This record gives sequence, structure tokens and C-alpha cells, in this order.
Amino acid sequence: MLERPSTPLAVRLLVAALCGGALAGSALPAQADSTVTISQGVDPVTMDPLKRTITPTQNASMNMFDTLLRHDREGKIVPWLATSWKHVAPTVWEFKLRKGVTFWNGDPLTSADVKFTVEKIKDPAEGSEQGPRVNTIARVETPDAYTVRYVTFKPTAIVPGYPWTTSIVDAKYWKEHGNEYQAEHPMGSGAYVFQSWRKDEELDLNANPKWWHGKPPIDHAIFKPIPEAASRVAALRTGETDLITNVPPQYEAQISGGRNTKIESARSDRVLFIAFNTTKPGPQQNKLLRRAFNYAVDVPALIRTVLGGHGYPASTPVPPNFTGFSAKIPFYHHDLAKAKQLLAKAGYPDGKGLELVLNAPVGRYNRDKELAEAIAGQLSETGAKVTTKIQEWTTYVNQTSQRALTPLYMLGWGDNSYDADNTLTSLFESNARISTYANPAYDTLVDAARYEVDSGKRQALYDKALAILHDDAPWIFLFQYDDLYGTSKRLQWRARADESLAVDEMSLSN
Amino acid sequence: MTAFLIRRIAGAFGVVAGVAVVVFIILHLTGDPAAAMMPLESTQAEIAAFRHAQGFDRPLWVQFASFAWNLLHGNFGLSLRHGEPALGLALERVPASAELAVTALVLAVVVAVPAGTVAAVKRNSALDVAARLLALVGQSTPVYWLGIMLILIFGVQLGWFPVSGTGGWQHLVLPAITLAMFTMARIMRLTRGSMLDVLQSDYLRTAVAKGVGSFRLIWHHALRNAWLPIVTAIGIELGTLLSQAIITETIFSWPGIGRLAYQAILDRDYPVVEAVVILGAVSFVVINLVVDLAYAALDPRIRYE
Repeated sequence: MLERPSTPLAVRLLVAALCGGALAGSALPAQADSTVTISQGVDPVTMDPLKRTITPTQNASMNMFDTLLRHDREGKIVPWLATSWKHVAPTVWEFKLRKGVTFWNGDPLTSADVKFTVEKIKDPAEGSEQGPRVNTIARVETPDAYTVRYVTFKPTAIVPGYPWTTSIVDAKYWKEHGNEYQAEHPMGSGAYVFQSWRKDEELDLNANPKWWHGKPPIDHAIFKPIPEAASRVAALRTGETDLITNVPPQYEAQISGGRNTKIESARSDRVLFIAFNTTKPGPQQNKLLRRAFNYAVDVPALIRTVLGGHGYPASTPVPPNFTGFSAKIPFYHHDLAKAKQLLAKAGYPDGKGLELVLNAPVGRYNRDKELAEAIAGQLSETGAKVTTKIQEWTTYVNQTSQRALTPLYMLGWGDNSYDADNTLTSLFESNARISTYANPAYDTLVDAARYEVDSGKRQALYDKALAILHDDAPWIFLFQYDDLYGTSKRLQWRARADESLAVDEMSLSN
Repeated sequence: MTAFLIRRIAGAFGVVAGVAVVVFIILHLTGDPAAAMMPLESTQAEIAAFRHAQGFDRPLWVQFASFAWNLLHGNFGLSLRHGEPALGLALERVPASAELAVTALVLAVVVAVPAGTVAAVKRNSALDVAARLLALVGQSTPVYWLGIMLILIFGVQLGWFPVSGTGGWQHLVLPAITLAMFTMARIMRLTRGSMLDVLQSDYLRTAVAKGVGSFRLIWHHALRNAWLPIVTAIGIELGTLLSQAIITETIFSWPGIGRLAYQAILDRDYPVVEAVVILGAVSFVVINLVVDLAYAALDPRIRYE
């Protein structure tokens, strides 16, 4: 508990500040060895797992709630609450639930809870951000207590409803207490049991001894947010925390050189790219110019100089560990002469008369502004005049929503479906909200792939769609980020591509 | 006195109402939060549904009327981000912010008033030069830089104090010093200036002639008369401390209202921003009123009729 302010306290503070030496060693609280402290940049915003999609909030709920399925480290779907799942009809997916799973209060977890969960997210009155994840599901059927069927509007080859991120809630508990109560009083079935939450301070969780998967190795988990990156690094170095997220590359040496700290990294599923707004008039509608700009950007140099080496050049919008990725698509290798040649062919010899704006957000993606400036510099080497327009995220994303950013704009895209579908439809289909590309031939291919059940045929469709994107170049293809984490040396944990922090995958050594 | 109080309280309502109008207009000019709140893959229909559910699709004047009506009932609405009542979110962070701001203010006054007094009495001595230099440094050091330096030196290198969050009194030390520095410098300069004026006045010369001891002369006769501008400054500084707390609370991961405001602004969480700003306006008005009343107590010549 906090001490209340008082004059004697202030006097003690002054004394403490002046002769702090006497306090050495007493300032840091001793921590039990089986406690892990995790510091993300922001606190979870709610304990209600059905509302938000932002990573820090989901990282808290994933430790308290179970999902039907999970992804393993390689992105393969593995059983979780559901022991099996299959396509029983073109529009019907069936899940068999694990028996004997209970919520912390002893309520059994059954198909009724799954149905309640999906319907809650789907209800427009709830205003859940997770709505888009379940919008392909028409209804949920529960033939018996341990069988759930998702009936989709159209046939689909992909398991619907994001069963690897959708937390299953206790329907009975929810109905008893109502919506608002859930924001601070979660009731899950997961590995860690909610203890207390002081907002912006600490979320305390205890290992669930009755967890169906067995009691996890670490007894207590504390989520303690630290917004400022430099302070997060300092807290890791002083031992106040065991794991910090979003480490800027400039702190890498401090952490890897620390006596008790180390760096963990994972090739993120988040890709960064520069899109051409081909729906608005301008030189960016010329395919030759778009290809020229792809050759003009030196992606490995950007990764080396701006990201301290932490990135992987991307040949397609789909990361290599996703279903639908095509290894047949080549990279655009940096070639300034070829870029100039293509520009001349496009009608802009030496970039003459070309004045373009590169839009970018600031503070949204790791080193976004710096990257935009470096890219503008590289593009200007063709002779074109490329300037940057940097805006704060909320203003920026509103313009994205109206397809108003033009002719060039930076965007990052992270998806945890491990499947090409969401990426290729949301970003490039003519009628997608933020798409600034329109190509009927492409639309036909990705639409067909969405409903193709045969995996070989499906891959062939994606190969063709990705080849079109390479050739048409609606993007300057940049890179996948390498996510950096700092951890204490006593923590055993391997970072994951989907940015998730499952405490049951961690252990501590002494 | 009663008439004065009634006038001031009526004025205070006017100020808060004005602030409410301004904050509403500014927030709504900066854009619609729907696109920022919903994931990029949402369809236009899903965004429209969200806007409808939150009432952002109503004409601006209707939104304002509903905001004003709810405000009169003390209802700021639910936070878009947290899904909880906005006023409650703001109020539950007030104790942490108050703890930090009051500690910083006490720290600043305890150091600055004696230091400023000594500097004035020993004008142009080495002590005075040192105090003035310290004030210069204190006023020109960015809070952000100071906070990080204190963390690196006293947290990481020496390991004397924790660097983030709350807990025992140890957690207060670094953020309180960071927050106090600017205010400390300002009050020190003001005390010195005010004391110099008083020290040159006739009545002090008279007091010296009557043989009043120098300790009593300075701390009783001079400082008491120099207090008035200092008290005003302290009142204003409390406001400054609350606004600077945004940076300090973010650096030290202090769970106060400044950090809430910062995140709410980034998210365009209208109800929370409105609650924080109006709460801030109310506290400014109250502080000013208290300062005015303190005048009367300190200076018997001032009477509010």
C-alpha cells in the first residue's frame, strides 16, 4: 500500500535524497524466486477478454483464459480446449471439447460457454473490436455439452472465428454479474488465476493448481507496465522486472552486456511496407514507376542502419511461416540503374518533374519516422523529389480508413492467423476498407483461395495472386521486424513471432 | 467575506463550463476515434456500427447537448478504451498524483525558501552564487533528461532507489526530486528577490536600530513580509506540478492521472480526456481560491468585502 503524504514523510525524503548511501540495499524489495515480473509498455485496458484486440491486453487475458486452439512456435495449430476439429460440411466446422475443464469457480466449461462467447463478440451492441474475427460465422450450434459447430455464411477452408485468440468465458458467471463487472473481475479457466489489478501499477496472477494442462512451473506472475523504453531497460537492469517488451535497438548492447540480463528476439509476423495509392490519380498509377521505386529502395541497408540489423527483407506481404506463402516470388534487389531505366520508360527520365509525398506515422512502429526519412532519401536518388509527411497515429489512421493517404504511405501489418487469407484480402482486395489497389483478376484468385479446401490447389491460387502483386507492385516491399525483448538471465523463455507472452511457457532458474 | 466567496464560486462554475466547451470542441476537431480503435481489417460497416454504438454519427450539436446534460449529472460516459466510467478512472488515479505533487511541492519549498533567504541575506557571496547557479540549472534542465539521469545514477548504477512504479517511500524519491526541481528553482529565485526587496525597506532598518537580533530579524520580520508573492507562486506551482506530472509519471511509471491523460489523448478516448481536463480545471480553481483566502490570513491589511 502507498504511504500517505505528510510533512514528516517529506523530511524523511529529503534526508533520504541527501544521504541515500545509508539506504543502499534496502530499497529494492526481495522477490520470491517463483515470481516472474513482466513489463510491457502499456497496462491491459480491461480484464474483459472479449472487447479489445491490442496485444498488451490480450497478453494478460491469454494467461487467464483458454482458447479452443493454440499455435505452436512454428505456427502450427495444436489442440487446446478443443481436442479435435474438422470440416464436417462445406459451411460447418466441428470442435470436440476437452472434458473435465472447469473455470476457477468450479463451473464446468462446456459448449454453451463457447456459444455464449462467440455470440457476445458478434453482437453489434457490444461494440467489440474482435467482431471482424467472427464475422464469417452465421451461428453456433451445440449438439451436446462437448461438441460445438460453427456454421459459416459461406464455405471456408480456414478454421473460422480465430479460435487461437478468442478467450472462452464462463457464460453462467457473466449472466449473473453483467457486462461492466467483467472489466475488473475476470473468471477464466486458464493457467493463471486473477488475484488483483491496480490499474497502471500491477496485475497479479497466481498459478492455477487445477489447470487441466497441469500446474504451470512459475507460481506467481506480475504484469507491471512501464511506458518509457529507457525506464523499462533500467528496471530490467536493476532486477525490478524479468521481461521487457519493445526494446529499441539502441539498448541492445546495454542489455546483452548486462551481468544479469540478456536479449531475446523473434522474427515478428509484422511486416512494414510503403503502399502506393493506386485508387487516386497521379504518377503512382504507373506500374513502371512502382517497380522502379522497388528497385530504388535498399532494404538491407535500411535494416542495417536504421534498425541495427534487426529485420528480415520481405518478398511478399505474407510471412514465410504462414500458409499461402510462396517461395517462388523473388525479392526486388537494390538496383539504382535499373530503377532509373524504368523511370525513364515510365516517362520520367532522371525523375524529372516527379514530386511525391511519402506519408508516415510517428511513434506507431519501431523507428517509423526515421525509416520514412531514409526511404525518401533513397527514392530521391533516382532524381525524383520525395518528401515525407509525418503525422500522429490517430489522425493518420483516419486517413487510412478513408483511403486518403496518397501517393505513398507507410503501414505496418501484423496478423496472428498464420494464414495468407486475412492479409491478402484486407490489404489488396478492391472492396476492402483500407485497400488502395484494385485488380479484378487478383480478387478472383484470393476469393477462390478462401473457399478452396484442397491445400495443393489453394497454394497454387496463392502462388498466382502473389505473383500478380510482385509484378504489379502495389507496395514497396520492405521487411519483417525482428522483435527485441530483454529478459533476466534467470528466465527461460523463447520469444514468439506473434508477440504473445504465455507465462506457462516460461520457467525460472536460480 | 460571504459575498466574496459566492462571487468566486459562481466565477469558478463559469471557468469550468468554459473549459468543458473548449475541451469538447478541440477533441472533436482532432478526429474520430473509430478508425484508431478498430483493427485495420474491419470493414466499413463494422466501423459504422462502432460509431453508431458510441453515438459519433449524431450531429455535433446533439453530441454536445448530450455531453453537457450528462456533465451536469456528473456523468462523463464510459471510457472507449477501458469500458468503465471515465470519471471513476480519473478519480482513482488522483491519490497517486496528489501524493507525488504534494511531496514534490513540500520538497521544493523546504529547500527553496531557506536557500533563497540565505542567498538574499548573503548577497553576492559564494553561497548566493551557488544558489543562483543551482536555480539556473534547475529551471533549464528538461524534466525528461533529469528523470532518466536520476534513474541511471541512483537506480541502475548505485542501486539506492527503485526506478519504476509505486511501493514504499523509496519509490517516491526519484520522481519527487525530478518533479520538484523546476519548482524548487523558481521558488528559490522568487524568495531571494522578494527578500532583497524587504531587506532594503525602512522598517527593517528601524528594527535593526532597535536592536532586534539578526535571526529573529530575518526569519520573523523579513520573511513574513516577503511571504505574499511566494505563497502566490506556490499556488501556481502546484498547477505546474500537476501538468509536468505527465512526463514524470510516464518516465517513472507512476500510476497517476497524468499518465492516464497521456494515453487517453493518444487513443482519442474522449470521455477520459474530458474527465481529466475538467477535474484539472476544478482543482486549479480551488487552488486559486485557497491562495486568495491565504492572503487574508497572511496579510491583515487584506480583507475581502
